[in-house]
Amino acid sequence: MSTKKFDLSTDQKQEIKDQLRDAYDFDPKDPLFGLTRENLSGSQISRRSVLRLMAVSGTLTAWHLLPGAKKAFAQKRGGILEAGWAGVGEITTLDPARINQVLQFQITSSVLSGLTHLNADLVAEADLAESWTVNNSATEIVFKLREGVTFHNGDKFTADDVIYTFNRSKDPDRSINGGLLKNVASLEKLNDYEVKFTLSAPQASFFVKTTERASGRALTIVSRGAIEELGPQQYGLTPVGTGPFRVTEHTLGQSVKLRRFDDYYDPERPVLDGVNITPISEPEPLAAAMEAGDIQLIGGNPVAPELVDRFMANSEIVVDIIGGNGFQSVFLNPWRDPFKVPSFDKPVSELMKEKGFKVRLAIAKAIDRDRFIERAQFGRGVPAFGTINPAMGFFFDENLGETSNQKFDAPAARKLLADAGYPNGDGFPTLTMKGGPPVRRDMQIIADMLKTNLNITINVEIREFQVLVPEFQKVDYDMLRIGSGGDFDPDDGIVDFMQSTSRLNGANRDKSAMAFGHFGEADVDKLGDEQSRTSDLNKRRELVQKVNRITSDKVASAFIYHPVDTLVHRKEVNFPSRSRIVGLVDLDRVSFT
Amino acid sequence: MTAYLIRRIIGAIIVMFAVATLVFFMLRILPGDPIAAMLFDVEDPNAVEFLRTKYGLDQPIYVQYFKWFGHLLTGDLGQSIYGSRMDVTRTIAEALPRTLSLAGLSFVIAMIIAVPAGLISAIRKNSPLDHIVTIVAFLGLSMPDFWFAIILIIIFAANLHWLPAIGYVPLAEGFWPWFSHLILPSIAIGTPFAAVIARMIRSSMLEVLQMEYIRVARSKGLLTTRLILVHAFPNALIPVVTVMGIAIALLMAGTVIVENVFAIKGLGRVLIQGILNRDYPVVQGSIIVVSAIFVFANLLVDILYTVIDPRIRYD
Repeated sequence: MSTKKFDLSTDQKQEIKDQLRDAYDFDPKDPLFGLTRENLSGSQISRRSVLRLMAVSGTLTAWHLLPGAKKAFAQKRGGILEAGWAGVGEITTLDPARINQVLQFQITSSVLSGLTHLNADLVAEADLAESWTVNNSATEIVFKLREGVTFHNGDKFTADDVIYTFNRSKDPDRSINGGLLKNVASLEKLNDYEVKFTLSAPQASFFVKTTERASGRALTIVSRGAIEELGPQQYGLTPVGTGPFRVTEHTLGQSVKLRRFDDYYDPERPVLDGVNITPISEPEPLAAAMEAGDIQLIGGNPVAPELVDRFMANSEIVVDIIGGNGFQSVFLNPWRDPFKVPSFDKPVSELMKEKGFKVRLAIAKAIDRDRFIERAQFGRGVPAFGTINPAMGFFFDENLGETSNQKFDAPAARKLLADAGYPNGDGFPTLTMKGGPPVRRDMQIIADMLKTNLNITINVEIREFQVLVPEFQKVDYDMLRIGSGGDFDPDDGIVDFMQSTSRLNGANRDKSAMAFGHFGEADVDKLGDEQSRTSDLNKRRELVQKVNRITSDKVASAFIYHPVDTLVHRKEVNFPSRSRIVGLVDLDRVSFT
Repeated sequence: MTAYLIRRIIGAIIVMFAVATLVFFMLRILPGDPIAAMLFDVEDPNAVEFLRTKYGLDQPIYVQYFKWFGHLLTGDLGQSIYGSRMDVTRTIAEALPRTLSLAGLSFVIAMIIAVPAGLISAIRKNSPLDHIVTIVAFLGLSMPDFWFAIILIIIFAANLHWLPAIGYVPLAEGFWPWFSHLILPSIAIGTPFAAVIARMIRSSMLEVLQMEYIRVARSKGLLTTRLILVHAFPNALIPVVTVMGIAIALLMAGTVIVENVFAIKGLGRVLIQGILNRDYPVVQGSIIVVSAIFVFANLLVDILYTVIDPRIRYD
């Protein structure tokens, strides 16, 4: 395992286990999951109830339970924070109806509001909702809205704005996020400050996902008056909301200026007078701007790994690393030689007789993950053998690295390749590995390892995201280096990537020629569905680990590593642990020390 | 002259039309689907088709072309299809002043370096000074501008803290903020440009200095300074100006890369972002503007000939 991963003490591990056990201690047939109507109603949901709801919805992970350092700093009010948004040339839009990137949520979360918002203690707090009640079957939720709230343009916030936002999000002409509301059967205005949601089926994650202000999107409240006045184009640049900051200026590709909203409903927030956000696409200028003090905080895409040590060596800069959640891997096209495996529905012993499978396994076994993490990620990351990441805690199989077929073994990999008809790599075709610009280094190191360990030549081909994703979805590649981030639940890896019908498993392939995309296996399909439905913690873990092992042993892809989440800011910036939510940059409590 | 100008302007319009047409079809040949990439994780399977229909991308390419061209004739460059949906005209109008600021300052810096360097090199031919100028010029030509840009950032922004590393401030907010943000990118762009011009001035001056009228002037005892600046240099400028017209393309290419490094949303960055996003209207609009700048800059160069050398007449 990598040397720089983040271990917990025995007590902390035990505490996490206890909380997980309590969260999953409910009867799945009970519509309220062991909670009472009182537990679910009010102005906030307790941490215990939230953990239970997340467990029910399958979104609870050990990452949510990691103890954060409760740092306390002297803070002063005011000041303008200069922030750089990494790896992006422009923030194309901030209209919640059209955003789908975390680097956009990071900004809209400070400008717009939802009915609820999760804090870092995972308590679903009232945001624009003051309180709510749930019926016995957990399908009707009545939100009492906060009175006296105004939009940045002075308009009063009422139930009509919730209805308008809902209808706008459902309209595909105006929103790309209508799918997030598919479980909402109807929304009804009861009076100016009360709305009732009727769900098609109980949805435990409703408060912590759908109505949440950052990732909710479809129910992130927009201003009808402002949209009509500004038009959708300008609204995308300078959205008007009820959040702690208002957008005073947005020069596309140059800067987004946020300024304190004096009439925000919480007079304690925001602490800063404003934030200037500059998109910076190149890593070196980003680093130089940070070192020079031109910017004081980095948001946006993950900081390039080669910069992290450099920042850590600078006494003026604070680097805060917590466990990330995702997997990174190399997909091998099962419909092309030399990786051809037209059916994975056989025992591994049978697959081992096939030339294509031997080559797949040889590639997976020839990659030394520890060495890769040292060289490509500068020691930060955890070796991966499946989609289930360590941040998923309870579901993560710590033994998989030792027992997986993919475990690094260069002599065994060479033997497999020889058995497949390529002794010492002789006669092996020159293949191409495609990937985006940020993984160029990763790909070169993997190609180098395969050359050293198998004596085969892999050409690295950099593709822009707009080209890479359609090719991935068409299964048009020899080898393709891609992965997933923001995976909090086993479904994010298994259901999204590994099942025959997964939305990221060759959705646009020629289905007459390819029965599945990059991988298809009957047990994975069956057990994958089963784990998604089951709420028995131990049973689900058993199923998840079983599926994960199949995808690993049958080389659904060559899994490489699980990344970390890194926040970088200058030491004069106080970024409270309460705002430290993986992947997000909540700015309303940030201050200068 | 008027007839010549009209002919050249018509020619320029034809060139721009050809460039626009070529870019339109080349973009469609490029792999990549802006809508599929934009909506890759959206759960609704109909969303991609909906947007493709909405933007007319489901229609045959020739239909898309004629529609686009029809709009172009009315001055409508369309809207961005990737995210912002902003009018392309507005995007370009915002970006153009930044690029012109950058290109203008780069040009001035290049001239400040190139003219004395070229003249000294020519006057002191084969002297150590000439060799130094030649070596420096080759260094300037050999350094990739993005690499030079990063070196400048590391030295002057990260280490010395003299100048900002990134960004742009409009001139309206004050001369120093504007200048301090532009000086590093301008040096990065202007240096290779200066090297080209300096070499051109040197060779052109050497040719002029061999001419008979210079020898006559020298034999009549004319001061060297006057001889060089009044009699030799203007006559050496004709080929230099010709190269400058072509080198404007070099300057524009420089801004494309350097704007990206310094996080300046000029025309170059608009273009790169448009290409990366396969944002067809943005790329098409930007290319038309860039080609217009190039074509009309060269037209200006042709007109400059008549100013530099009154013997040149186009009628």
